[in-house]
Amino acid sequence: MAVPRWVTVSTLALSVVAFGISAYLTYAHYADPTSLACPDTGTINCTKVTTSSYAVIFGIPVAVFGLAWAAAVTAINVPWAWRSAPRWVHPLRLALVAGGAGMVLYLVYVELFRIGAICLWCTGVHVTAVALFTVVLLSRPSEAE
Amino acid sequence: MPNNKKRPARPAAASGRRPTNKSSARRRPAPTAAPATGLARLNHEHPMLVRLVPVALVVVIIVVMIVIKTSGSPKGGGSGGGSGSSALPAGVLSAATSVSPATLASVGVPKGINPPSAVKGTPALLKASDGKPEVLYIGAEYCPFCAAERWAMVVALSRFGTFSGLTATHSGTLDVFPGTQTFSFYKSTYSSPYLHFTPVEVKTNEVVGGAYTNLESLTAAQSALQGKYDVAPYTTQPGSIPFMDIGNRYLINGASYTPQVLQGLSMQAIAADLNKPSTQVALGVDGTANMLTASFCTITGNRPASVCGSPTIAAVAKSLPK
Repeated sequence: MAVPRWVTVSTLALSVVAFGISAYLTYAHYADPTSLACPDTGTINCTKVTTSSYAVIFGIPVAVFGLAWAAAVTAINVPWAWRSAPRWVHPLRLALVAGGAGMVLYLVYVELFRIGAICLWCTGVHVTAVALFTVVLLSRPSEAE
Repeated sequence: MPNNKKRPARPAAASGRRPTNKSSARRRPAPTAAPATGLARLNHEHPMLVRLVPVALVVVIIVVMIVIKTSGSPKGGGSGGGSGSSALPAGVLSAATSVSPATLASVGVPKGINPPSAVKGTPALLKASDGKPEVLYIGAEYCPFCAAERWAMVVALSRFGTFSGLTATHSGTLDVFPGTQTFSFYKSTYSSPYLHFTPVEVKTNEVVGGAYTNLESLTAAQSALQGKYDVAPYTTQPGSIPFMDIGNRYLINGASYTPQVLQGLSMQAIAADLNKPSTQVALGVDGTANMLTASFCTITGNRPASVCGSPTIAAVAKSLPK
């Protein structure tokens, strides 16, 4: 389907940014969670967030979930995927970014009310996830052919 | 983009798609069925606006959470309740509750650990309603000396029973030894076949209107104990915290070691040092824990034998003030 160029460019750029930050968080999780380049001002404390009991779900680090999600949205937001004909592509894309936005709500809740600290790197992924949700919603197939 | 020259395969209304341009929308005949609802009309006239509703919802929910958090309404949330506490970092609880006997024996009670005061006279053993000897602790989340003492209390009490619901907190950032990382006993539970532990955290570490907010209140009996034993000759600062009444046999009035050794350390860093006998953290925390353990043994009838009968604790018990 045809979409405005700004949609393909912005979604790919946002996806790559999310992937990059998620990759850094995943690396830090396994290397040394305290090594994250992040100020510690009490409220902002990446280490407190990434080493909390909430940083792992079902035995899998949240950073890994984030990396997998970012990889998926990057793949589905490449120009080829935007041009692809199958009708399931856009609903899948919408589901991915909507799921991402939902996860953002949960993680922000956990940071604010359960851990009591905010992780700046995680916030970077959250912002890109909500931005992706916004752009994909604005680019529904009505703008196609 | 849409090709306006082509006739669409289906009318926009039937396909659920928005019209390809405004003029075609205006030319669309009036619906033959019921008139469009407000939302349908809005969707028709401002489709982009309607599409952004989910995003707006997400943003609004985030903003509401931030407002609730910063306004201090339900502070701390779930696990922390109204306190300034939060979830424990991974691995901290297991490290603090399983310091090896070998490490504790190696540390002993080093210099610089303040011993408890022996209660004068022979008052009745303080017991809880379940009949077990009771250890009463009165402290506050903002208090750096309480912050230091809690680490040793968790290490020592874990030799007699099991904690659940412990959370992380820190001392007040405007006080001495600011932001000392520690546990909070608020809303925690402790079970032991040997003794009953009653913690009371009277204040949070959050300042509202120039004062730390209240957290838990003392019962009349607890106030009476503090009024009786948190005064001279046991302390020069009546009402000081942390205060511990160990079964009406021993008293802790103030920190047993200096919070300085915990300064600037994260909970993970402190926890990691607990099993390293040569570290300042281990000397302070584990040394105090040994002293507390020996004190607890005096009210549990030296049970459990595996703890109270160890050469280290037996030796510490002999050195306790009479």
